[in-house]
Amino acid sequence: MTRILKSAVLAAVIFAGSIATARSAAAHHGFAVFDTSSRRTISGTVKSFEWTNPHTWVWLDVHNPNGGVDTWGFEGMSPNFLGRRGWTRNTLKPGDQITVTYFGMKDGSKGGSFLTAKRPNGEELVMFGGNTTDE
Amino acid sequence: MFKHGKYFLNCFIAAFALTALASVAVAQNFKRPAPTPADWAALAKLPDFTGVWEVPMGAPPPAASKPAGGSSPTSSFSDLFPHLTLTPAYAAKLKALQADAPQDPSTANCLPPGMPGIMGQPYPYEFLLTPGQVTIVGEAFSIIRHIYTDGRPLPADPDPSFFGTSIGHWDGDTLVVESVGFSPLTTIDFITPHSDKMRILERFRLTDPDTMSIETTVTDPEALAAPFVTHRILRRHRSWTIAEYICEENNRNFVDRSGKAGINLTPPGSSQTDSK
Repeated sequence: MTRILKSAVLAAVIFAGSIATARSAAAHHGFAVFDTSSRRTISGTVKSFEWTNPHTWVWLDVHNPNGGVDTWGFEGMSPNFLGRRGWTRNTLKPGDQITVTYFGMKDGSKGGSFLTAKRPNGEELVMFGGNTTDE
Repeated sequence: MFKHGKYFLNCFIAAFALTALASVAVAQNFKRPAPTPADWAALAKLPDFTGVWEVPMGAPPPAASKPAGGSSPTSSFSDLFPHLTLTPAYAAKLKALQADAPQDPSTANCLPPGMPGIMGQPYPYEFLLTPGQVTIVGEAFSIIRHIYTDGRPLPADPDPSFFGTSIGHWDGDTLVVESVGFSPLTTIDFITPHSDKMRILERFRLTDPDTMSIETTVTDPEALAAPFVTHRILRRHRSWTIAEYICEENNRNFVDRSGKAGINLTPPGSSQTDSK
C-alpha cells in the first residue's frame, strides 16, 4: 500500500471507523506527520484560536518543567466543517483554560492533531463525529 | 490535365484548411443564443437541483436511494479506497509510483484534486441552473465546474484541465454529463495516473426531494481495463450556504519535492524565542 493510502486508512481506523472523518482527513492531507499510536493530553491556556482554512489552529501556552512557558500548536478541522457543527470563531478565546487530547508530532515538536478538549467545568469540545446543525 | 489536377488539389487543400479552421472556431467559440423568457421558464420543468448538497458524514446512505445501476450506494470505504482495474501498462506505472510515493498528495500544498476526486470531497456543493448551463460550486478549494447544456459538442482536442471540459443533457429526469481533457497533474484516485484519453460520465438524479444520486463512470482505454464506477448519495441542506475556502489562507502543511510531509508549527505573530 502506498504511504498516502496507509496514512488515509489509518485516519479512518483512528476515528472509530467513521467514514466521515476519513473523508475529512482525505480532503487536505493525511496523518503521516502525527504519531497516531496513542492519544496524549496536555493542559494550558489558549493564546489564540485561528479560525482559518484549510485548518483551524489552537495555540496553547503550556508551563514547562523549567519554569517557562511553551506555545503548542494543535491543528483542527476547517472553519467550514466546524461552523456547521456548532463551533464559532469564539468557541475558544485567549485565556481559556483547556485540556487538549491530541495526536502528537512524530518528530517530537510541540504540537499535533487536535482531537477533543475539555474545560475545567467538564464541557467537552468535539471536532470529529459531531452532527451537523441542520438537516 | 496536370494543371487541372493541381488546381483541384489546391482547392482541396484550401477547403480542408477552411473546414479545419471552421471546426476549431465552432469548438472554441460556440455562441449561445440569448436566453428567452421561454428558456427561463423551461428551467422550472427540470428536476430541482438547486441549493447546497453534501455527502452525509458518518450516516449510512438512505436505503431507498439505489442508483440507476442497481448496486448499493457506496458512500463508504470502497468509495474512499477504490479498486481500480488497471491495464498491465498502468499497473506497472502505479507500482513504480508506489515504490517512491509521497507521504501526502499535493492537496497538502493546496493544489486541488482534479476530476473525479474533486466531486468526492467532505464539503458541500451548490448546484446552479441557468439556461444552457449547470454550474457546480464546490466548497473544498473554492472550485467551479461549468457544464454546458446548450447543445455544443465536446471539443475534439481540449486543453487539459483539472476538471476537464463538460457538456450535459437531460435524459428524462437525469442530468447526464460527459467530460474530457484532464490535466496530467490529476489522478484517478489518490495516486493512479490517467492517460489523455480518460473520459468521465456522470449521471445526476433526485431519488427523493432532498436526496441526489451521482453515478460516476471513469473510462480510459490506456489506463483502465474496466470502467471505474462510484455512486454517491448527497443530502440537500436548505439553510446552508457555501462558505469561502481559501486553502492558502493559513496552510501550515506541506509535502516537499522528496515526498516528505511536514507542518510549520511557528506560532502566529510571535517568534520562537517566546518558547523557553
